[in-house]
Amino acid sequence: MSGEMIGLVGMLILLVLLVLRIPVALAMFAVGFVGIWALRDLNSAMSLMASESFTLASSAELVVVPLFILMGNVASVTGMSARLYDAAYAIIGRLRGGLASATVLGCAGFAALSGSSVASALTMGKVSLDQMDRFNYDNRLSTGVVAAGGTLGILIPPSTGFVIYAILTQQSIGRLFLAGVLPGLLLLTMFIATISLLCWIWPKFGPEGPRTTLSEKAQAMVGALPVLGVVILTIGGIYTGVFSPTEASAVGAGLVVLIGLLQRKLTFARFWAAAKDSVVTTATVMLILIAAHMINPFLALTHIPSLVGEFLAGLDVGPLVILALILLTYLILGCFLEGFAMLVLTMPIYFPVITQLGMDPIWFGVLVVLTLEMGLISPPVGVNVFIVKSVARDVPLGRIFAGVTPFWLAMFATLVLLVAFPQISLILPNTMMQ
Amino acid sequence: MLSSLRKIADGLIGLSAFVGTLGLVFVVLVVLVDVIGRSFGVPLNGGQDFTQMGMVIIVFGGMALCDKLGGHVSVDIFERSFPDGLNHVMDILAALLGAAIFVGIAYTVYDSSKLSQMLNLTTNIVNLPKWYFQWALSVLALITALGMMLRAVELTLSGPAARSAKEIRE
Repeated sequence: MSGEMIGLVGMLILLVLLVLRIPVALAMFAVGFVGIWALRDLNSAMSLMASESFTLASSAELVVVPLFILMGNVASVTGMSARLYDAAYAIIGRLRGGLASATVLGCAGFAALSGSSVASALTMGKVSLDQMDRFNYDNRLSTGVVAAGGTLGILIPPSTGFVIYAILTQQSIGRLFLAGVLPGLLLLTMFIATISLLCWIWPKFGPEGPRTTLSEKAQAMVGALPVLGVVILTIGGIYTGVFSPTEASAVGAGLVVLIGLLQRKLTFARFWAAAKDSVVTTATVMLILIAAHMINPFLALTHIPSLVGEFLAGLDVGPLVILALILLTYLILGCFLEGFAMLVLTMPIYFPVITQLGMDPIWFGVLVVLTLEMGLISPPVGVNVFIVKSVARDVPLGRIFAGVTPFWLAMFATLVLLVAFPQISLILPNTMMQ
Repeated sequence: MLSSLRKIADGLIGLSAFVGTLGLVFVVLVVLVDVIGRSFGVPLNGGQDFTQMGMVIIVFGGMALCDKLGGHVSVDIFERSFPDGLNHVMDILAALLGAAIFVGIAYTVYDSSKLSQMLNLTTNIVNLPKWYFQWALSVLALITALGMMLRAVELTLSGPAARSAKEIRE
């Protein structure tokens, strides 16, 4: 059997295993191991298993993953997300749809702390859904906005999505973080515009909230200052070159713990639970990465990535059409596959095509991460939708999916803008980090 | 017999998560001490060595608990359209496959630790012996495999009816 045929059979088996609910990492690991055994020999497969497990688990670059997760978890258990929401609520809560916009702003702020979309949706859902319910917000808008707002976590730095992309494609984490800032803010603006539009067409979707006094506004802002300070210090530290991403993540985690202790919101038990949770999440992400490093050499040996690359590059269409095709496959795969798994499975195939076409890998990283975000709210497996459902148990799943649809369209419009104007993604990394 | 094994496995899984969590706290402290020390002109010697080796403990320390909590990502959109029997068989197969993979990781990493020991492979700055951490990785992977294997046995003995009852409770 030829290498290509073994590769195709391997991919088919992988698909069957995934459909049969074998965990993604285990399925990729098994197919990669057996594939290398078939194409080379058992010794090669075993030595790859040993080297990839230890090398990735001791990777200096990946230390940022548990540290940023810890920062987000501690911020969550100490109620810092609630203070971000309070600040946004005090400023724009009284406008029509203002509570929903405040939720999106809170999500963006929390995303900048945690780097995790799921954590953002969960914590902001707990904080904001009751409030919006109290002011008679339509539950499609309230749940939709939390599910969609949570996705900002993977685009606004620090983002675990960018870290994984950087590791897989050998790109700079700092440049990718920087490239995510303007698209993140653009998406935030698009979300707020979507809320305004919905509430303008259907005023009952988001009635006006209560008026707040100037002193209440000031008090809420003061409450959010420490959190904003942590964000500015950690992210700013990376961009100004004061910290490496690893150092920034440890400083961020240390500061969040310090603030929690000073505000008497953090007990040892809460801290330990947050740290343990971070270790478990890290294990999930890292096993997928280790499995990806098992299956990627197998794919390379089969020559499938280069064949796909040659096929796409040989199409009688422009590079933008090829890019559109690639992004379209991500949108379709996003309906069925978890984001990280999708990233690690496809990157060895698509990344060489992108570089062959002369496209900027940082720009492509932003586009891919945005499409992963869209997968988080795409039916039938939109993870964030299920997270929101776990908080808003009385809202039917269909209504939550209906609620996220306008935001999915806003994300699609943002994706089109980012494709049409690469400078939105590239201007910051190109001017601030050479 | 099985319940005693479950108690031992749960104890080991808890211990491995404890060690992983301790590793995370250690890594945060090491990086912080390094950053603060550097600003005073005295960076921590070998900080990167400690964080890299600490990362091994974090990653594999969390594996067993991650599996116990069902934390590994899977595509479950077709679950409801499959019969209970098939879902039950797949749960058992997933646990067995996972156990085989983690036994494989433990064995191959232990095997390569012999080479590390023979070649005296250490970290770059403070010369921490790499094989110590390869041993730790092997032990933690074995604990994960034990948890998975035990789950496979428990699922086999419980039958698909237990799965349906669990779903109804949830």
